[in-house]
Amino acid sequence: MELNVLQRIRRLPREARDTLFLLAVIAWTVLPHLPHLPVWCVALTTVMLVWRTQLAVANGPLPSRWWLGALLVISAGLTLWTFRTLLGKEPGVTMAVVLMALKTLELRARRDAFVVFFLGFFIILTHFLYSQSLLVAAAMLVSVWGLLTALVLAHMPVGQPALRHAATLALRTAIFGAPIMALLFVLFPRIGPLWGVPTDGPPTTGLSNTMHMGSVAEIAQDDSVAMRVRFFNRVPPPEAMYFRGPVLTNFDGHVWRAVPDSRAMRLFDLRTRGEAVRYEMTLEPQRLVVLPLLEAVTTPPSVDGYRVMARDDLQWITDRPVFERLRFEAQSHIDFRSGASATRASLDEALELPPDYNPRTIDWASRLRRDPRYARADARALAQAVMTHIRFSGYSYTLAPGAYGNVNPNGAIDEFWLDRKLGFCEHFAAAFVVVMRAMGVPARVVTGYQGTDPLPVDGYYIVRHSSAHAWAEYWQPGIGWTRADPTAAVAPDRVLRSRNLARPPGLVVGAIGTMSPALLGQIRDAWETVNNRWNQWVLNYSRGQQLDLLKTFGFSSPSWEDLSLLLIGSLSSMALAGAAWAWWDRHRIDPWARQMDSVRRALHSLHIDAALHEAPRALADRVRLQLGDAGTTLAELLHAIDRHRYSRAAAKRPDNSMTRQFVNAARQLRRNR
Amino acid sequence: MNLSAVNPTFFIASLFRTWWQARLRKSDTILLTQRNIYILPTKAGLLFAATLVTLLITSINYQLNLGYVLTFLLAGSGVVSMQLTHNTLRGLTLHMKPVTPVFAGDAAGMDVVLSSPSGARHGLGLKIESADVTTLTWVDVPSGGQATAHVSFVPASRGLHELPTLSAETRFPLGFFRAWTVWRPSGQVLVYPQPERPPATLPSARPTPGGPAQSKRTQGAEIEGIRAYRRGDPLKLVFWKKAAKSMETGGELVSRDTSASSQHELWLDWHACGLLTPEERLSRLTAWVIAADRAGVNFGLKLPGVDIGRDHGDGHRRHCLEALALWN
Repeated sequence: MELNVLQRIRRLPREARDTLFLLAVIAWTVLPHLPHLPVWCVALTTVMLVWRTQLAVANGPLPSRWWLGALLVISAGLTLWTFRTLLGKEPGVTMAVVLMALKTLELRARRDAFVVFFLGFFIILTHFLYSQSLLVAAAMLVSVWGLLTALVLAHMPVGQPALRHAATLALRTAIFGAPIMALLFVLFPRIGPLWGVPTDGPPTTGLSNTMHMGSVAEIAQDDSVAMRVRFFNRVPPPEAMYFRGPVLTNFDGHVWRAVPDSRAMRLFDLRTRGEAVRYEMTLEPQRLVVLPLLEAVTTPPSVDGYRVMARDDLQWITDRPVFERLRFEAQSHIDFRSGASATRASLDEALELPPDYNPRTIDWASRLRRDPRYARADARALAQAVMTHIRFSGYSYTLAPGAYGNVNPNGAIDEFWLDRKLGFCEHFAAAFVVVMRAMGVPARVVTGYQGTDPLPVDGYYIVRHSSAHAWAEYWQPGIGWTRADPTAAVAPDRVLRSRNLARPPGLVVGAIGTMSPALLGQIRDAWETVNNRWNQWVLNYSRGQQLDLLKTFGFSSPSWEDLSLLLIGSLSSMALAGAAWAWWDRHRIDPWARQMDSVRRALHSLHIDAALHEAPRALADRVRLQLGDAGTTLAELLHAIDRHRYSRAAAKRPDNSMTRQFVNAARQLRRNR
Repeated sequence: MNLSAVNPTFFIASLFRTWWQARLRKSDTILLTQRNIYILPTKAGLLFAATLVTLLITSINYQLNLGYVLTFLLAGSGVVSMQLTHNTLRGLTLHMKPVTPVFAGDAAGMDVVLSSPSGARHGLGLKIESADVTTLTWVDVPSGGQATAHVSFVPASRGLHELPTLSAETRFPLGFFRAWTVWRPSGQVLVYPQPERPPATLPSARPTPGGPAQSKRTQGAEIEGIRAYRRGDPLKLVFWKKAAKSMETGGELVSRDTSASSQHELWLDWHACGLLTPEERLSRLTAWVIAADRAGVNFGLKLPGVDIGRDHGDGHRRHCLEALALWN
């Protein structure tokens, strides 16, 4: 059956085959976008591609422009209806995919085909907005190859060239272009975004400056890498692996926000004990100003191209959002105290509770505070009491607690704390802070990452987006801020072993895991190693690495301008080399023709003028005729050359020794006469 | 012509073209080198450049290193494709085969032999330089081999014409660049007058002037007219009896000299054409020459200043047609 399909494809006329190939490439290019596209877009694109396939096979007429115009208007309307705008990443990708499918229905002239190719290249790029993983890169490399092959096919108008032949030619073009790509990639100056700050780039997950109920749940399911850490002197224990992100103090009842920088850069108060942990961090783009460093950092790490500042709440921030992968070294002290000398004003902010929100939780907290057992309790004891409550009052940790606040938008925390008791870190952290504040203890939510993969890969500890976490801090006089992780009370595993709730594995992975857990681990490690190298050498390549490279080339203080000059210089010399090669190449003629040239010149010196069309055999006859017996040697040599070229056992290239022999014999003859 | 006189751009362009082509040497073989190949980006190439700029800006704005990789890979391929497009023409040899004469109004076919000393060449297109892009004749040249491209043009009038200037171009492999060359082949093409259609009936043969208008057979079935065998004579014309004798004595085959020609002479005469313009007369005479040749009769051609004696056969036909083509 399958063979029949193949045979049918092989028997298709050239044009139909080329169109089918292009459609297959387009389908492959669009396929990875399916999860990002609205359902109607997927359906419409599929219908259009299938329609076009059918038209190609049946050699039917293409639909009229009215059809296409109507489809275009409909899809633009649907895009507008879905996204409320036509600008931005998601609507842009949707429209690009629809346009591509529409354009296949309008493949009339060569120009239309080019539009398809260029839209294809653009769609390939949009994949990188979602993921730049090795897998995506490999899939898109296939797409580029396919599109180039289709381009080459379009420029082979004669006969029915084999697909494989066109693919080879396309590959050759790309391979020849690879050095230019490498040069440009290494030397093209990396600059920041030209305009605006794209907020919709990759990855869509990560830490956020604000916290809504439920927003962290999405991160928790994202297994992509947030950062890689290589420790130099010692590896902190798992329960100390808190990477501090945005500290959220201000709460309006719905959203948690950080204190504005203007009020948070007054008093950096951090005292540390013991030896520092020194490490190198490779941080994926966070699109934030916050650097999630290991708690707690005293001296600003030097990050190339950025100014790094500390906030009072121990957040380290950059002067502008980071949209590139950063690699830098830092040192942290696991044992630290901070905020003992906090101002009254800053503590007041950490006590504020919006009125009329979560009254039942506040009531619950004040009842606990009034409990005679805690009459003299300090903040620490109160925190302990709340933790104990969490541990033994039927709370459970789940990634899918469902939405809170639907019943009463002002009582989301009430609903969690007193009714359903299902939640993950952010629910626990938020509720804990509200309860502490209700008891008069300054408290705040801290977000960040907690824990790493248990084993390092290639020396790097990997922190994934699934390790995103929210915990709490409360303040007590004389001591300062103390970390309290309510999630650890309900799901100690989450913190101690850094094991998040595992998602059910895929079918293949599950099968391998059942057969040989060790093998699965090895595969995973090998993959992580490759992936890490990919990240380090390709994705992580940024301005810092560029300037480092220039230093190894001997530039003492490399700059942006040096980079540009080097790039322009290299490109110019490449162009010159190409031109020189072409110039040299113009002298390259057919070796057989060169041999005959020498033969004719030698004969000319003997006053035998040979015409261009005369074969060596014919020349031999003339040599015999004009020189008589003296020319026997020459004639025999000419016959030998003739046989060498034209006989059944002809050689591919002329034998230069034969040519030389002939020229020498001719010279000798001339001397003797 | 009117258009070029009115529109200064056209006028200047045509002046430039004339000047440029006058610089080119005529040759029946041309080796394409760096000196006679031109290359420019196509519209698609410019569109591709615009795409690259879009990709680059997107990569910069979203800080996509993989986007840079894609952009630069495409840019590299594009730059390399320029070299490859140029390579497709470079080193190629074009050779014009002699062009067979045609009748005015018919297309004259030029066979151009392309030979590649090195690798295979794909997607080569040949056309008359001034003709439209759609008239391109596409051809692939195998590695180290030859291929023939057939380019035709319709000569404007009878006479001996120079071959038109040709251009060979390619966009292979990616179509971002168009490399082309302009070639003035040195050959000429002879154009016979257009035969009249429908052809007028042949004038009737005249009796031999001065000779007796008698039956061609004499007494005793002796055949009066015999002649040496000519190539192309049908077998039934061969006079076997006489041929046997002739060949015994070392002679050749003999054929019956059939046709009325022995007694009646067919003359295609300028003055017998009726009241027509000179070109129409030539057309009629051409049609007659073709008809007479097809009938296999001996005929002669009389034009003012030209007199071709009675004969028949391919050579005679060609001789007559040439005379008609070149008469003025």
